[in-house]
Amino acid sequence: MTLRLILTSMATAARRNTSDRSSVLVNIVFFVVVASVMSALWRAAAEANGGEIVGYSVVAVTWYALAAEAATVSLNMRMIELVCDDIASGAVATELLRPASVLGVRISMAIGAALPRLAVCCAAAAVLGPIVGGAPPRALGVVLAIPALVLAIACNLVAQHAVAAAAFWARDVRAVWFLYQKIVFVLGGMVLPLQVLPDGLERTAMLLPFMTMAYVPSRLAAGFIEPELLLLQVAWLGVLLVTAHLVFTAGERRLQVVGG
Amino acid sequence: MTTTVIATRSLSKTFSMRARTIEAVRDISFEVARGERLAYIGPNGAGKSTSIKILTGILHPTAGEATVLGYVPWRDRRKLTMRIGTLFGQRSQLWFELTPRQSFRMLAAVYRMDARVAERRVAELGELLDATDLFDAPARTHSLGQRMRCELAACLLHGPEIVFLDEPTIGLDLLAKQRFRELLVTLNEEAGITIFLTSHDVADIEHVARRAIVINHGSVIHDADVAAMRRTLLSRKLVEVTFADEVPAPMLSGVEVLAHTGTTLELAVDTDVRSVRDVLDEVLGDRRVVDITVLDPPLEDVIAEIYQS
Amino acid sequence: MSVIAATMRAALAEAWSNRSAFWTQVTAIVLNDIVWIVFWVLFFRRVGPMRGWDGDSVLVLLAVLATSAGISFGILANGRRIGWFAADGDLDAALSLPVSTLAYLLVRRVETVHLGDILFGVVLFAFVGDPTPARIAVYLFGVAVGVAVLTGFLVLTGSMAFFTGRTTIGDMGFNAMMILSSYPVDIFVGASKVLLYSVVPAAFIAAVPARLIEDPTAADALGGVVAALVFCVGGWVAFSLGLRRYTSGAAWTRA
Repeated sequence: MTLRLILTSMATAARRNTSDRSSVLVNIVFFVVVASVMSALWRAAAEANGGEIVGYSVVAVTWYALAAEAATVSLNMRMIELVCDDIASGAVATELLRPASVLGVRISMAIGAALPRLAVCCAAAAVLGPIVGGAPPRALGVVLAIPALVLAIACNLVAQHAVAAAAFWARDVRAVWFLYQKIVFVLGGMVLPLQVLPDGLERTAMLLPFMTMAYVPSRLAAGFIEPELLLLQVAWLGVLLVTAHLVFTAGERRLQVVGG
Repeated sequence: MTTTVIATRSLSKTFSMRARTIEAVRDISFEVARGERLAYIGPNGAGKSTSIKILTGILHPTAGEATVLGYVPWRDRRKLTMRIGTLFGQRSQLWFELTPRQSFRMLAAVYRMDARVAERRVAELGELLDATDLFDAPARTHSLGQRMRCELAACLLHGPEIVFLDEPTIGLDLLAKQRFRELLVTLNEEAGITIFLTSHDVADIEHVARRAIVINHGSVIHDADVAAMRRTLLSRKLVEVTFADEVPAPMLSGVEVLAHTGTTLELAVDTDVRSVRDVLDEVLGDRRVVDITVLDPPLEDVIAEIYQS
Repeated sequence: MSVIAATMRAALAEAWSNRSAFWTQVTAIVLNDIVWIVFWVLFFRRVGPMRGWDGDSVLVLLAVLATSAGISFGILANGRRIGWFAADGDLDAALSLPVSTLAYLLVRRVETVHLGDILFGVVLFAFVGDPTPARIAVYLFGVAVGVAVLTGFLVLTGSMAFFTGRTTIGDMGFNAMMILSSYPVDIFVGASKVLLYSVVPAAFIAAVPARLIEDPTAADALGGVVAALVFCVGGWVAFSLGLRRYTSGAAWTRA
């Protein structure tokens, strides 16, 4: 898997995603709606609680919500379903005919496709945030949140591929995306700051990879300057890549023995 | 450079599914020399696709050996696929949502081609395949015939030494099939690319291949020059004519009357003895004709003949 | 009318026929819905009552939402596909039948997964809704309003595809509704709140019915009825106008 192939895959997928103007519009509108709702909810919660909730001020929780939604809206949560379908249909088997890592190309293209959507969401957030909640609590937080969002998306997509690899063995794994999405919602900090969880659950969530997918960028955007979280994302990304690679390779080997 | 590019010995593949086992490929042995045009023919389920999957490295055989360009396909898949091209009629090598040109750019990166060399290749292939104006519309908007030309470009981009084609003309209209076959012959004669083509269409033997391997129920039942096959087996044509009035059955050498019902005649013509044109001249005369059909004998008949001969 | 009933019965039978898939999907959606309960329980544990809503009332909202959405997406499953049929020119089969096209389309398909939502909603209400006969009656009224508003809204926005050739508005409408209707409407203030009672009537899907169950007022009840009528009629009108355009062949010229 050469660097050139990674970059070409990402660029090609990104270009394809920007060519359709109406879907960009849908993206923006969807983000604005969802981000407005989530931030309104948590702002109301903070206000009802004397101006802060689990350590987040009204402004901080607004920016938490915006970042969390950017991490959600930018990528396809149903990637598990799509990959499972491709494995089952034999499309993945055909991809083995190319002298390149099937997983590598797929993940690169998925990340490339998500990046323009992320850029759009960030731009929308930059406009929406000050309007609904005010300026971000710490500018540095927002600056750190941007690479964190890219890493968040990468972690999420790689994990989805790792889960989807189950389709090499089992038949009906498509519906798993539902469960995956809900786990990321709660344990990933997508619909609530992890500090809202009861202590035991919060500690567990902090140890799992899902927190890289929304909590990290959101925490940073909320103004908590914890740059070690970025390192945590990189570490988890490495673990997830290795896991996905191992599972996919094993699955491909099975495909070669058992047939498509 | 060795002249044998593909060699198999006692190749077998058995699938076990739930209650039953299927012997898809049974003890297959053959060799293919560089520059050959080979048709691997058999009815549906004969084991053609399984064979090609083994030779291209995406399936492990249960027993036997195979080498392609000196590699063991399922062990050295990455290295092998750099030097071969594949075109599976029922599967696409192009990315569905991208334009072919974008797919070519991706493939250039996959095959580690110099970007400029790749662009030149794309232009050449566009001209050769008369497909340049197809390269910039998303693959999903193309008709099947158009897509197959783009697929062929994709499989040739990196200059493969062997091209494996699995049922490439399936679903194409007659004209498109003809064009496609002509392209394969051109590629072989001008660029020296070895062609390994699987098909269940007898016309692919006639128009593309110089050699045909016939497989049925997983085993090779015939392996010969097409010229020789044509002499002995493919010289039959079936002619069905429906007249407006009753006609007598013709008595002509080289013509066997298969069915005769008053106004319809079904004839089998041995084209070595008498041409179809001759037969039609004799039979039609100046009678009033309602319908004429001229057919190749079905593949099953050809194979049955092969079994018997 | 009997054709519609027969079609609905056939669609339900189709969904019921693959038993294992049926139960897998129903279980999946129930688990999915339980996660929302978890979310709200956690939320109100931290926040306490907020703008007139607390853990219990939000669970009633969830019960109504699940039931309404379950009926709309589950039994009237084609409601959200109207846009796709219009854009793809796929209405011919329905048009060739001697029935009301819209009614036929709506009942033609049952989406098994969302039948689980209905089950979940009813069971949840039984547990948290304090189901006295009066409250059950209001619950059923609320669900009827929710189904009417949701389906009407989906048909209305989906029918825009007859005029634009794309499903964008319909898809956005569906996504927006799904998200907005699962929150207690009073978290919003000002303009956005007005929006949720009018253009994107998410308030009437679950929040208003839930409020009715806790504290029935004539204003809320009347609001629900009006909203249901407006969006049902609106959807029907939009569809009919769009259909006229469709059958006139105009859709075919848009490649």
